[in-house]
Amino acid sequence: MLLQTLVTGLSIGGIYSLMAVGYSLIASILSFSNFAHGAVIMLGAYIGLALATKLNLGLGLVLTGGVIGAGFIAVFNERIAYAALRHRNAPPLYLMISAMGCSMFLENMVYATIGSRLYGFPEFFKRQVVHVWGSSLSLLDVSAFVVSMAAILALHIFIMRTRTGIAIRAGVGDMTMCSLMGVNTDRLISIVFFLAGAFAGVAGIFLGVKYLVYPTMGWVTNKAYIAAVIGGLGSLPGALIGGLILGVVETLVSTYVSSVVRDIFSFSMLIALLICLPNGLMGRETEEKV
Amino acid sequence: MDYLLNIVMLAGINMIAVLGVAVFTGFTGLFSLGHAAFVGIGAYTSGVLTYHWNAPFFLAILAGMAVTGVSSLIIGIPTLRANLRSDYFAITILGFGEALRVSLENLSITNGARGLSLDELSHPAWVFGALAVSVLLTRNFLKSRFGAMFMAVREDPVAAEMAGINLFRTRLLSLVVSAVLCGLSGALLAHRLAFIQPVMFTMTQSTQLLATVIAGGMGSMSGPLIVSFIFTSMPEALRWLNMWRLPAYGLLLVLIMIYRPQGLLGYREVPSLLRGGLEKWRIRFSR
Amino acid sequence: MAHPLLEVSELSRSFGGICAVNSLSFRIEAGGITGLIGPNGAGKTTVFNLITAVYRPSSGAILLDGHDLAGKRPYEVVRAGVARTFQNIRLFGRLTCLENVMTPICARGAHGRFAALFRTPSVRNEERRARESALSTLDALGISDTANLIASTLPYGLQRKLEIARALACNPRLLLLDEPAAGMNDAEMSELGDTIVRVRQNFDVTIILIEHHIKLVMGICTNLVVMERGALLAEGKPNDIQNDERVVAAYLGRPRASGGKKRHV
Repeated sequence: MLLQTLVTGLSIGGIYSLMAVGYSLIASILSFSNFAHGAVIMLGAYIGLALATKLNLGLGLVLTGGVIGAGFIAVFNERIAYAALRHRNAPPLYLMISAMGCSMFLENMVYATIGSRLYGFPEFFKRQVVHVWGSSLSLLDVSAFVVSMAAILALHIFIMRTRTGIAIRAGVGDMTMCSLMGVNTDRLISIVFFLAGAFAGVAGIFLGVKYLVYPTMGWVTNKAYIAAVIGGLGSLPGALIGGLILGVVETLVSTYVSSVVRDIFSFSMLIALLICLPNGLMGRETEEKV
Repeated sequence: MDYLLNIVMLAGINMIAVLGVAVFTGFTGLFSLGHAAFVGIGAYTSGVLTYHWNAPFFLAILAGMAVTGVSSLIIGIPTLRANLRSDYFAITILGFGEALRVSLENLSITNGARGLSLDELSHPAWVFGALAVSVLLTRNFLKSRFGAMFMAVREDPVAAEMAGINLFRTRLLSLVVSAVLCGLSGALLAHRLAFIQPVMFTMTQSTQLLATVIAGGMGSMSGPLIVSFIFTSMPEALRWLNMWRLPAYGLLLVLIMIYRPQGLLGYREVPSLLRGGLEKWRIRFSR
Repeated sequence: MAHPLLEVSELSRSFGGICAVNSLSFRIEAGGITGLIGPNGAGKTTVFNLITAVYRPSSGAILLDGHDLAGKRPYEVVRAGVARTFQNIRLFGRLTCLENVMTPICARGAHGRFAALFRTPSVRNEERRARESALSTLDALGISDTANLIASTLPYGLQRKLEIARALACNPRLLLLDEPAAGMNDAEMSELGDTIVRVRQNFDVTIILIEHHIKLVMGICTNLVVMERGALLAEGKPNDIQNDERVVAAYLGRPRASGGKKRHV
């Protein structure tokens, strides 16, 4: 029973991590919270849904399609709503407001065009279970966890080992310096948004498969945002750990206390943690330069 | 005529909440994704009082404002004392709003998610009286030394602190003022619509309040008030547009940030603009 | 026993392993203009940030008139009698110059929240007095004609003066000026020097000044504190410092025939 709860928690946590990575990537390079990320996740889920139901594709192709689609949506989102603001060095507050606007626009466009109906994915996992140490675990949960971890590991290797990864890390350090050194920052930022969008695509599809697809499903990303903040916004290991902690704690609370207090609990946890550790578990200390 | 009056009253009620967010975001420079929660607290406190105990409307409104003020202290003291980054603060207020919605949906005194049916007590005199008093007192307050401190904090928190301003207390004061205005708006709204439900006070409504203030202009009272009036009355007049209202708000926010970040009347007020205009005419005339 | 106005003892602060200020001690007696000088990266601005509690010290103590400033928030340090300007000007950009200078006066104002709501006569009186006081401070800096202009529209030199005016409106005993002459030409600089000397007398305030223009420093400072790599290098009268071998060798660099960088240390 406990093991089962833990695995469920880790699988939800894995999806939280996937989404939190998107927040952290963008926050690390542009130092603002991209509140439009939830909408990108939702659109990723709709793209996956269309591929799965209209074209009857398998999970692998659905994921590929969702990754590419959501990745490009994130890039377009940046080009249209943020690039102009970045170019004139607008304060982060403006970027955040613009992001809120995007989120409102995208969610309600879907609502107005596709409608508020709830859609389900075809059952990719057919309620299969795997048996580990005497507990039966849902194959969906196990796969969600494994895919999330693999994706985050791949991202880590990409950032640590490739030339583009080095450029991204340099951009995290100092964007202006990076552009003075001859890095095309617009292109770099597009790549970062594509990565964030790609992760949003995977997360959206797993969310859709596990639950349902609907216009405001991106709401769940508020919790992913909490996960990113708990781990330390801007830190990849932080996003991973924050997501897993939040997933496990929430599942434990809803199993052993009540699912009603679950969200209240996670928000209180966030507030308590921020009061003790204003930069999250693994965030960099940011003392304003005076 | 009744229909028109109804629209204008709803606009007036919304304007009071917008005034609150203008104080907090436009004048103090803090960003909130949860002010609809304060509207909700005002609505439910007053609603529960008139519904269960037949409290006099006036007392119910005052109680709604008081409870909203106290709730803003409960969320504001820990988060503002920690001097959180603005986006972290926004998300904690959002969390507060959601926690509130979940609680309202699960309490029996609020009749859960089904909502409360109330009496229509918000007569035009109440609404327009409350609006006039709110605008007047808020204007006074923003003209006082407290308003000056709000604006200094908005312009540069570090420099403001080095001018001897206690950042925490100043921001907390701004939060309480804005929450009390939202609470007043909520109490009037509840007894105007005669029905309240927890889903009426979620992040969507908070974002709309914020959008109104941004579109009206940071650091301006009259700008957000004008935009609030337009935003509330337009969709009522053009009901068929309803479905496209929210996407339009979203698009508007993005466009404003890109092309006109100061909004309609950023950092200016209608009376001073009129005076300025009059001055120009006078000079032209005397030539 | 009389206390010095400011006593900094064994002050250290490190950022992620890098020691920006290292066991620094010095005293400032009331009344003079002290120049805090040293090469770039010596930790001068960090000392200001530590005194004004923008940063917390890693160790050591800062005493103002014998009272420990440990654990105070910046606004409390201001109320204790320290005011400052910033290296990269931090004005309230969208407010007028007068409002900028009125802000510290408002911060210590007397009227309460409810009086403010109803704009009682006492509120109006207080406002009028604050306005007059701010105007006279602007006047002392010779910029009263800018009172109703928006601060961010002022030219650079006037913005620096406005910052000094705002700091003076805090009623400080100790005024910290961080590179007040940065970006000024010789004429503006010597005028600024006169202003600083005049302000010191009129407002009865003790001044510490971070400055790279050696001409200004030698012209107006009564005392010098020289820092290098976070530590104290020398302390004394300007003439002694100028002839101090360690300072000349370690800080001014080896004497060169061409005076290319002489003035801009």
